[in-house]
Amino acid sequence: MSALLELDRLSVDLSISRWPLRTTLNILSDITLTLARDETVGLVGESGSGKTTLGRALLGLQHISAGTVRFDGTPLKTAADFDRIRPRTALMFQDAVASLSPRMTVGEAVTEPFRIHNRPMPDWRARAAELLEEVGLPADMASRYPHELSGGQARRAGVARALALKPDLVIADEPTAGLDVSVQAEILNLMADLKDRYGLSYMVITHNLALVRHVADRIAVMYLGRLVETGPTAEVFSNPAHPYTGSLIAAEPKPDPRKRRTDLAIKGEIPSLIRRPSGCEFHGRCPLATARCRTEAPALRDIAPGRKARCHFAETYQKQGA
Amino acid sequence: MTTPLLTVENLTLNYRTGGDPVQALRGVSLTARAGEVLGIVGESGCGKSTLAATLMGLAGTNAEITDGAVSFRGENILTAREETRRKLRGKHIAMVFQDPMTAFNPVLTIGAQLVDFQHNSGTPKRQRHSAARDMLDRVGIPDPDICMGRFPHELSGGMRQRAAIAAALLMQPEILIADEPTTALDVTMEAQIIHLLRNLQSDYDGAIIIVTHQLGVIAQLCDRVVVMYAGQVVEEADVDTLFHAPRHPYTKALIACDPASLSIKEKRLPTIGGRPPDLAHPPAGCAFADRCAQVEPICRTAAPPRVEIGPDHIAKCHEAWS
Repeated sequence: MSALLELDRLSVDLSISRWPLRTTLNILSDITLTLARDETVGLVGESGSGKTTLGRALLGLQHISAGTVRFDGTPLKTAADFDRIRPRTALMFQDAVASLSPRMTVGEAVTEPFRIHNRPMPDWRARAAELLEEVGLPADMASRYPHELSGGQARRAGVARALALKPDLVIADEPTAGLDVSVQAEILNLMADLKDRYGLSYMVITHNLALVRHVADRIAVMYLGRLVETGPTAEVFSNPAHPYTGSLIAAEPKPDPRKRRTDLAIKGEIPSLIRRPSGCEFHGRCPLATARCRTEAPALRDIAPGRKARCHFAETYQKQGA
Repeated sequence: MTTPLLTVENLTLNYRTGGDPVQALRGVSLTARAGEVLGIVGESGCGKSTLAATLMGLAGTNAEITDGAVSFRGENILTAREETRRKLRGKHIAMVFQDPMTAFNPVLTIGAQLVDFQHNSGTPKRQRHSAARDMLDRVGIPDPDICMGRFPHELSGGMRQRAAIAAALLMQPEILIADEPTTALDVTMEAQIIHLLRNLQSDYDGAIIIVTHQLGVIAQLCDRVVVMYAGQVVEEADVDTLFHAPRHPYTKALIACDPASLSIKEKRLPTIGGRPPDLAHPPAGCAFADRCAQVEPICRTAAPPRVEIGPDHIAKCHEAWS
């Protein structure tokens, strides 16, 4: 598998100058991540961990402060570089209904990428029908407006639009948020089928761990704008190396009354980016935190082939879990 | 565990629309008992939120209750005068909404609102203030005194939901209804709110009704569960029976397609297929017949009976015994 997308020490800073604050917020810091062809990477973390910002930054929709993005081997530096690869990438937005213009019919919306990128499209109606059929929507849906669609149908229309130009990379931001479980499974199956058919690579951004477990080959866990653990999904789930990953997995409500948690897997809230904690940023919520964690920031280091974790005590933690 | 606090009998509610009325609730019966957490689960459009709102006497202006009764301590809320119902709300029956942002007035502090919610408690203001403060403390808000002076937007989603639960519990209602209380929250906050509700339940002798589409929340929190489909209760059981010996094909399918219930990675997730029926024209037979794996000819012609499987276990299905 060759790398389709390579992020090297990517950082995104935002300067804030609104009273009483005048500071620079380090939204993303030191993100190094590779996405191979035909691979699905799941990006997980709590709200405010920087998942969505990362998705936007690697498409050039967010100014990058440091580090590089390489797409198919080519480094992307200027806006023109990002524009050049734009047709080969697509974004599925978090709010599917809001991401469709209320003034455009579904048919116009799914064929808009052709117009934007000046691709020849002799018969747009036929093309729209084709695209809708591919995602399991009836062709007559082309003349409907977004408000007439159900949540699941709007998702499918979003998938159709993302696939219009047959991209290499699809970034799916919470692809099933707000959907019922049965519809969620349909959308995930659809995404899996299309991946097989067109050899797509996905980056799935979500806080839904159950979803990630089924769709992602590898997962990347984010906390306060940094990667804290990366590795093959099955391995990370069966034996997490970072206490944060372990806590996230444990916090997920299991649909089985015989597996009720009586204690809390994780306490407290994600800290503010304005006051990043010293040392390891997770120490305030970590069950294993020691004096060292409060002062010395751990690096993202290799702990096994293909696995990395940002924790001083990753090996100890893994042993405890096993 | 046995005193019914709230009884719903054959509740039938239509929404007036431009065309034929939508039959949102079609003969719903259930009871909520003191000291018990009752879960109401179902997909979007099954009528669960309509039911929750009707229990509060808050059905919309386009809703028309054509049959049935909601009795609180023997008195029918539906036929009571608005003045009586207003006295019930807040004091005896309180509600926590899905979106904790819109539950509060944005221009008043949390403290001012919590004091105001006790307007008919008849206690002096200072006492109301300390009651509010104590309740914030009880729901796990750190520094409740500071929180009293905060505006809703200054709290995080999890803290706002805690404040909303505090607000609902202020008047010590006999019934607490929570409509999707964790849907807007991260998995870590969701676990904390579940933990909080479960702790509250142990020293609260009222009934808690949780409305949600997430089976995980139901399994972690509820004692008894009502499954709704197309405006009807299709199965009712204690939580262990529901997850481990469900009888209605819809309940089985719902549990099967929750990705959280599959421990090994599946390439394709199970789905239910089809869509719920149009409730403006519900089918004559079983509403689930078109999507059911166990469908028999009788399912399409006759409405399914309420089959008593065991004490406290009811399934509305022709094939409940098969």
